[in-house]
Amino acid sequence: MATKAQEKLSGACALVAARSRFVRFHGYEGPGKLSGACARVSARSLCLPVSMATKARGGSQSERMKLRCLLLRYYPPGIMLEYEKNGELKMKSIDLLDLDSSTDVSALVKDIQRVEPLITASKTEQVTLVIRRLQEKLGQYSNHSFHLFKVLRAHILPLTNVALNKSGSCFITGSYDRTCKLWDTASGEELHTLEGHKNVVYAIAFNNPYGKVYTLIGHCAEISSALFNWDSSLILTGSMDKTCMLWDATSGKCVATLTGHDEKILDSCFDSTGKLFATSSVDGTARVYHTATRKLITKLEGHEGEVSKISFNPQGNHLLTGSSDKTARIWDAQTGQCLQVLEGHTDEIFSCAFNYQGNMVITGTGEINTIGSTFLSHYLLEFPNCILKVYPLPLCHVRAHGSS
Amino acid sequence: MGLLSILRKLKSAPDQEVRILLLGLDNAGKTTLLKQLASEDISHITPTQGFNIKSVQSQGFKLNVWDIGGQRKIRPYWRNYFENTDILIYVIDSADRKRFEETGQELAELLEEEKLSCVPVLIFANKQDLLTAAPASEIAEGLNLHTIRDRVWQIQSCSALTGEGIQDGMNWVCKNVNAKKK
Repeated sequence: MATKAQEKLSGACALVAARSRFVRFHGYEGPGKLSGACARVSARSLCLPVSMATKARGGSQSERMKLRCLLLRYYPPGIMLEYEKNGELKMKSIDLLDLDSSTDVSALVKDIQRVEPLITASKTEQVTLVIRRLQEKLGQYSNHSFHLFKVLRAHILPLTNVALNKSGSCFITGSYDRTCKLWDTASGEELHTLEGHKNVVYAIAFNNPYGKVYTLIGHCAEISSALFNWDSSLILTGSMDKTCMLWDATSGKCVATLTGHDEKILDSCFDSTGKLFATSSVDGTARVYHTATRKLITKLEGHEGEVSKISFNPQGNHLLTGSSDKTARIWDAQTGQCLQVLEGHTDEIFSCAFNYQGNMVITGTGEINTIGSTFLSHYLLEFPNCILKVYPLPLCHVRAHGSS
Repeated sequence: MGLLSILRKLKSAPDQEVRILLLGLDNAGKTTLLKQLASEDISHITPTQGFNIKSVQSQGFKLNVWDIGGQRKIRPYWRNYFENTDILIYVIDSADRKRFEETGQELAELLEEEKLSCVPVLIFANKQDLLTAAPASEIAEGLNLHTIRDRVWQIQSCSALTGEGIQDGMNWVCKNVNAKKK
């Protein structure tokens, strides 16, 4: 019964935290701009439920204090306590300015408990967890400037592509020399050379968490894109031979060949669930297919140049395409209707993507293979999802990015 | 362009958000200033543990003001808040002459910060309601403000307690919001 009550409170605490000034303010700072504020890492670890009411030391009945939730504050390190006193929601903080990686956490928790009546013995474990997390954060290398780490003479001919695995521990390079090489990131050591391709390796990707090697033979021209679906059971490849193929990742066998584009396929993608996939082509169109039936759902027509990039939003209901006609477009994934044309670039768009929430889009133009903010002219387009549905017309405000 | 599209345009152009970083030594009056800006009660202000954030609407701008504690122990964490700052407001206790050197040192270090480069800086010579307060001109001279060449700056005498001078300072802020972006 105790656990049930705790679960209930856990939900309540999460709600309170989300409504408190503390978290809300952090929220509008927006993703990618996380700088100094304290952050809610997860509802579970931060909004720790507290099931028992705590009586203030020596306090009377009216001075009942009840801890509602604990919040982490990273800079400067501390814990915020959200509590109820006489029915009023209050907040106080415990500063831990001397905390570092060598601090004895259990001794510190004891010290805190001695002076802070809200932190009762039953909260020891939770507070310890929170302090450990703070310690972890403080131990992180906080200077985010990048420096040249290693130069690898990887291939005898130019590279076409590089991909890191999820943890970043190793990466793979593809080259005009028709091989791929697998590297250990930390040491820069070559782990494997993957040979067997009869022509230039254009696209590479890692599966998660680890992989087998198959040679997928079938396309009769260069492969422009290759990727796994979410559970790494299927591989999708798009090719200059105007077709796109689906492969069973466990057997390495081709399970479907999709024809239809009049010209080379430049990009392909799965949605986050893997139910749909889409291809984009030099013929200026893109196509959306159902993964299970391999049936064409819709064609995206409207671009006046080759469509170099295509991707789904995280919700899977919209698609974003980038084209050499200098526009990016947002489409309805089911009907194929163009919802919005994003204009502003003066050059071909080579890359574009949704953010994690799907409420922001980034597009890039410029030299291919040049990764660096100076060479990419980015602009951000913001649009609340709800407005998009209501007005399928240009409605975004364009913000120049780069100087701010 | 029809009426509908004009309406849509208006709807899609919300207030420009401005990120303001409010720094200064402890007891300079940052939190009082912040509360004064937000028209809140300023009678019970204690040393800031950590930071305060307030959002204030002003002249078509949404000013998000970050007030970070100024105690010596907390100052090393200031840099965690530098990113994306549009305007830096530095508050000085004009009556605390003993610490002019210390506050000048901190300000000089802030102006050296790469992440704050070209960010317009407003210096509030606070606590002008006190008889012993040094005038803004004296502070400007003492801090060698005239040597600042890499950004726009302004010194404004004020009293966070009475509210005097604060609006003038904020008017300057709104006028110079885009100075960095040009």
